[in-house]
Amino acid sequence: MRVPRTWLPTGVAPRIPLNLVASSPRAALVARRLLSSTAPARAEPIHHHDPLMSDLEAKVHRKKHEHPHLFDAKGNEIDPYKGGPSAIDKAVHLFFFTEIIRGMWVVLEQFFREPYTIMYPFEKGPLSPRFRGEHALRRYPSGEERCIACKLCEAICPAQAITIESEARMDGSRRTTKYDIDMTKCIYCGFCQEACPVDAIVETQNQEFATETREELLYNKEKLLANGDRAEAEIAANLYADHVYR
Amino acid sequence: MVSLVRTLRNMRRAGLKEWWRQMQYIGDAKYGRFVGKDQFGNRYFENLNPEEEIPGRHRWVDYAQHEFHASQVPPEWHSWIHHIRQSPPTEDAVVKSLTPPWQAPWVENLTGTRGAFKTYNTAGPKIQPWEPKVTARGA
Repeated sequence: MRVPRTWLPTGVAPRIPLNLVASSPRAALVARRLLSSTAPARAEPIHHHDPLMSDLEAKVHRKKHEHPHLFDAKGNEIDPYKGGPSAIDKAVHLFFFTEIIRGMWVVLEQFFREPYTIMYPFEKGPLSPRFRGEHALRRYPSGEERCIACKLCEAICPAQAITIESEARMDGSRRTTKYDIDMTKCIYCGFCQEACPVDAIVETQNQEFATETREELLYNKEKLLANGDRAEAEIAANLYADHVYR
Repeated sequence: MVSLVRTLRNMRRAGLKEWWRQMQYIGDAKYGRFVGKDQFGNRYFENLNPEEEIPGRHRWVDYAQHEFHASQVPPEWHSWIHHIRQSPPTEDAVVKSLTPPWQAPWVENLTGTRGAFKTYNTAGPKIQPWEPKVTARGA
């Protein structure tokens, strides 16, 4: 329902479907109104010149029924209420509950609008390529694991969630024998992936790894490597998208 | 039901069968371009017309399984449906070129089932139990 907002003199803003028939010549004249791009038609805060001034002095020392007299250039007195609503207008609004009706009308038109609700498992909200989700250990394109057990991530981890033990492998290269992350301790700050010199530990964009038990969140090296093996294309594409800023 | 006009229009476009399936799962009549299908049979749709879909709801997935779960989306499509990447993995040259041959098949979050991750120690034991060695007497 994209309809223009027309204001009636009573102050009620009905949404009359003027351009429901798209072929009518009137539709071209009526401005297109998207819910996502128009400002809300609600009351805006009044901006004073000095927002920190309270006006309390003037209110305390004000005499009753004293209005400043305004004069134009020729010296004639100006009635400041000339263009405003009359007492009858105000009484009509008061006795016919127009403000209540206006408020209920806003509720009614929201009722018939399409909601902004994202139907989550089917539609998903936007994420950044730098989103920090579940951890993963990556491999080189040859299949060799990247982590060299320098323990920089373990040192920088503010929650001390990472535990690393290392040994020399049969070919003499140093690799981890234990790479544990306690995901219940982790605060997802991303310092580990910033500290890593070989881009081994990364935080993937996966956020759907909630578990039923606490034990499932105590990740060991095999689980982290498996995460990396499954999501390597996404991780590499995100790092590639971000490489100009690193 | 969001809007009667929108529901009727999308019902007519998508067809009654598809609409019934959507009502069982998404709960909303949606119609858009069929973008692709992943290895699990999940179908992905897109409607970029802001008059028809609220921006932010313009990409959606129709899960193949009845017991659907958000983690059933494989990582390549995950980055598409989360609007991380603009083009779907079937067209994305970067994702295609960066997919290694050893990439493991995606497994959904198996928590609460027998396939749930159970942690174990990957390092060897630090403390060996004392093994008494008895030297033979008079040797």
